Amino acid sequence: MNDQPAIEVRAVTKSFGKKPVLNGVDLSVPAGQTFAFLGRNGAGKTTTIRMLLGLLKPDGGQIRVLGLDPAVDALEIRRRVGYLAEDQAMFGWMRVEQLLSFMAPFYPTWDAARARELADKFQLPMKTRTKHLSKGQGVRLGLLLALAHRPKLVILDDPTLGLDPIMRKEFLRDLVTYLQSEQVTVFFSSHLLYEIEPVADAVAILDRGRIMRQSATEELRQHVKRLIVPADAESALLGLPGILDFVRSGRQVSAVVEDADAALRALAPAGTRVEEVDLNLDEIFEAYVIGNRPPPGGRPNGEPHLEKVA
Amino acid sequence: MFLRIESSSGLPITRQIMDQIRSHCAGGTLCPGDRLPSVRQLAQQLAVNQNTILRVYERLTVEGLLERRHGDGTYVADRLPAGRLKAQRQLLEQEARRLAQHAAQLGVEPKEIIAMIEDAIAKIAKGAKAGGKADE
Repeated sequence: MNDQPAIEVRAVTKSFGKKPVLNGVDLSVPAGQTFAFLGRNGAGKTTTIRMLLGLLKPDGGQIRVLGLDPAVDALEIRRRVGYLAEDQAMFGWMRVEQLLSFMAPFYPTWDAARARELADKFQLPMKTRTKHLSKGQGVRLGLLLALAHRPKLVILDDPTLGLDPIMRKEFLRDLVTYLQSEQVTVFFSSHLLYEIEPVADAVAILDRGRIMRQSATEELRQHVKRLIVPADAESALLGLPGILDFVRSGRQVSAVVEDADAALRALAPAGTRVEEVDLNLDEIFEAYVIGNRPPPGGRPNGEPHLEKVA
Repeated sequence: MFLRIESSSGLPITRQIMDQIRSHCAGGTLCPGDRLPSVRQLAQQLAVNQNTILRVYERLTVEGLLERRHGDGTYVADRLPAGRLKAQRQLLEQEARRLAQHAAQLGVEPKEIIAMIEDAIAKIAKGAKAGGKADE
């Protein structure tokens, strides 16, 4: 059963009224991985996550979470999955300890000792009303609630939103300490790319309702690169497949390509002098999301050209 | 052993950590037989995925720089003279490649670059004789 992906999403579509939000999303999250779900605000991250938990129904396509269909077994999924919502609403009038005893009965696998241990490690003030917690404490309380029932899968919707840089780093450290060390599958959305890179095994980039790329983080870095060539080699550069961004600058032209090794092999026979530039995750994301794509067979006009992926 | 991750760097995290461990071995801040932090410890310390650390240790083990002792942890390899020299070479080769690339971009002649390096070496040697005040 370990080969079964923790999350499997196939050709999922969703519209709100006439507004399409997801246009055929495919995702596969292997068990035990820390998986970052990247996209700009409004790209459809939260919509996807809500569907994983059965809080929203897809218009089409198929979803499996821990082998279960959220449209049928939503309750069971919520019992087994640790979920931290974006801007989690707490019962503000409850004290931390009250909230913990209130939540426990919802989960058959709730581990009270573990909850106390985490509260201690997170230095949560048990007697404080949750509305008086700081933003950082609120996130840690949410994380505690998502972990105390020892789930095999944790889904975190933009957990670092609104945290200061120190708390963000602390949060990522908590993730490494309490989740990765116990082989829990973590699926979390974010738009802070360079921060999540050190912790993510794999990433998926969601843009305009589609997954532009799913890849192991390290592979993504190895494959997606910027190549710079002299201007007279422009047509050779434009002949490459998988160009995400194309820019002319003076005597040079450059392209961000999806598969740098293949591109270099293709350029080699002509003896073109190629400068290869490593990109960080921010730059890769930018190339996928707002890159200037050359029109097929034509010449780019230098304006951002957002080709619709058919 | 101090390591530092630069998240905005173009270099993948794995490479950053590998390079830094190599420098520590080459420079003598890690010596043969020294024990490295466990995968879990280093992951927590750097707030980096455990699998990344594991990959780094595995790759450096294949290179012969580290040694994984079953059930006991990861150590700097005993027969370090070879390992250390190899690590030093690799580091310098990398630097040399970068320098060569940079020189080509700037249109500097190979001869000039070699002269610059010889000059730099001569200055360091002179500084060492003058009592280590090379930076002045």
